[in-house]
Amino acid sequence: MNHTPVLVETQLLSLDRPFRFESGDILPRVDIAYETYGRLNERRDNAVLIEHALSGDAHAAFYHKGDRKPGWWDCMIGPGKAFDTDRYFVICSNVIGGCRGTSGPASIDPATDRPYGLTFPPLSVRDMVEVQRVLLRHLGIDRLTCIAGGSMGGMQALQFFCDYPFQFESFICIASSMKHSAQQIAFNEVGRRAIMADPRWNNGNYYDSAPPEGGLSVARMIGHITYLSEKMMQEKFGRLKKDKESRVVFRPSFEVEHYLDYQGVSFVKRFDANSYLYITNAIDNFDLKTSLSSRDRFRGEGRQRGAHLDSMRGKRGLVISFSSDWLYPPFQSKEIVQLFSAFNVQVSYTEIATEHGHDAFLTDYARPSEIIRGFLSPLS
Amino acid sequence: MYKIPAQNYPIIQEWIAHGSRVLDLGCGDGSLLKTLASTRQVEGIGVEISHEMILKCISKGLCVYQADIDKDLSEWDDGSFDYVVLNATLQVITRPCRVIEEMLRVGRFAIISISNFGYARNRLRVLAQGRMSSSTRLSGEWHDTPVLRYVSLREFMSSIREIGVEIMDARYFFPFDIMSDTRWPLYNLLAKEGIFRLRRT
Repeated sequence: MNHTPVLVETQLLSLDRPFRFESGDILPRVDIAYETYGRLNERRDNAVLIEHALSGDAHAAFYHKGDRKPGWWDCMIGPGKAFDTDRYFVICSNVIGGCRGTSGPASIDPATDRPYGLTFPPLSVRDMVEVQRVLLRHLGIDRLTCIAGGSMGGMQALQFFCDYPFQFESFICIASSMKHSAQQIAFNEVGRRAIMADPRWNNGNYYDSAPPEGGLSVARMIGHITYLSEKMMQEKFGRLKKDKESRVVFRPSFEVEHYLDYQGVSFVKRFDANSYLYITNAIDNFDLKTSLSSRDRFRGEGRQRGAHLDSMRGKRGLVISFSSDWLYPPFQSKEIVQLFSAFNVQVSYTEIATEHGHDAFLTDYARPSEIIRGFLSPLS
Repeated sequence: MYKIPAQNYPIIQEWIAHGSRVLDLGCGDGSLLKTLASTRQVEGIGVEISHEMILKCISKGLCVYQADIDKDLSEWDDGSFDYVVLNATLQVITRPCRVIEEMLRVGRFAIISISNFGYARNRLRVLAQGRMSSSTRLSGEWHDTPVLRYVSLREFMSSIREIGVEIMDARYFFPFDIMSDTRWPLYNLLAKEGIFRLRRT
């Protein structure tokens, strides 16, 4: 059967009013890049909000015109898939601080007519959430069936669900954590240092010259090592060599070197080094439990914090981990379950057996799909 | 894979108070939790190790936690539940006494059903054929049965007494659908199964 690929386009919402960050800093205007799939029903309550991970973007599913590859979670989103676009109105937007359409350090500061660079405000996961609230208001959506995401997307899902529990029927959090461990911060720091050690980085001012591609690709290479399991890497590459004859010293020769090189090189074509710094810093500083008891600049509406968390009672949650994921190990997912159980959320937990490490949240779709379909079915 | 003795459901329902918090260990497809949710309005959580069973529970809208009962009960705080149920699951557990102690740490009461290995037919089978019946083994050969523990009612009762657990209520199932809440003479020979409501002494 020959399927014509369903074409979608990233849309842009340009806000001409200021957006205030959790830090108190203000951007005079923000752009929000987003995509939607499926149809909003008449009651406007069948929406599912998808949150992307560190290197993701608004293009979660289907095809852009001329592209050979679909969106990053196309295996999960579509007719009859885990997030069934015949039933749900699926929304995904690029995070603030990113570089794929939504405002970030590479965007032009209207005050100087130059890219923000490091003058872009410090970023938090809560800022990512608040920007999406603006988008939901624009779309006229107040109540959603579910919010879902993996890795950094899971963090956003948890933060959004906790800050506005009355907006969601349920959350799905995959291969994620309530807060980074020292090891997770350490890996991110090495990535950041690689970027900052690249002379082209120039304190974030490189938009008129050659970007720090060397540093960013090393950061990405480190990332990719942490996304795979040791066993999978061994099976995939072992000690195989690509060019055995090469006499040039220190040129990549092992298959695994070529793989990492390829990942690094293709990443720098689509990602901004400053965005990488801002976003990894935001997720390193993410601490869900602490954020729930800290003062909250956004909602000075006199709402009482305790009463607010109480409205989570009876909502449903689903937490999924992967057995060989050593970057976001299953015990961190179990901590999420314990926290939400304490809030009286009806939260379920499953650990998927796989050898694919953290990457499994993007590649191992069969088991998670049946679980998610099962989870969503009693809700609709 | 496992036989789910639905005969125990009415007894479990009778023992569990309305609106309790219930943890069901080895909850299978969640049918007990579903029953308890509709008749006793309990807030229930199931624990299961099998992916297929997890999927069935989640699809029913139940709250289920994939875990190994032998290892993972330590993740719950003391007194998190009113009742912790272990229905037809004791025989597949590696360290049953440890699990019973954990059940009465995370819950106020425990409900445990067991199949009596001392039952006359089991004894006769061993005597006559020199082997256990496949029903005792929950099907399967000796090397691939999930059953690890073969326990008689008498042994079970003396073990729980030793770890400081007392029986609040009991039901014994005899042949011909006879059920009794008292221990008959020769119960360890004649009863097929027993179910107990337990607490710390």
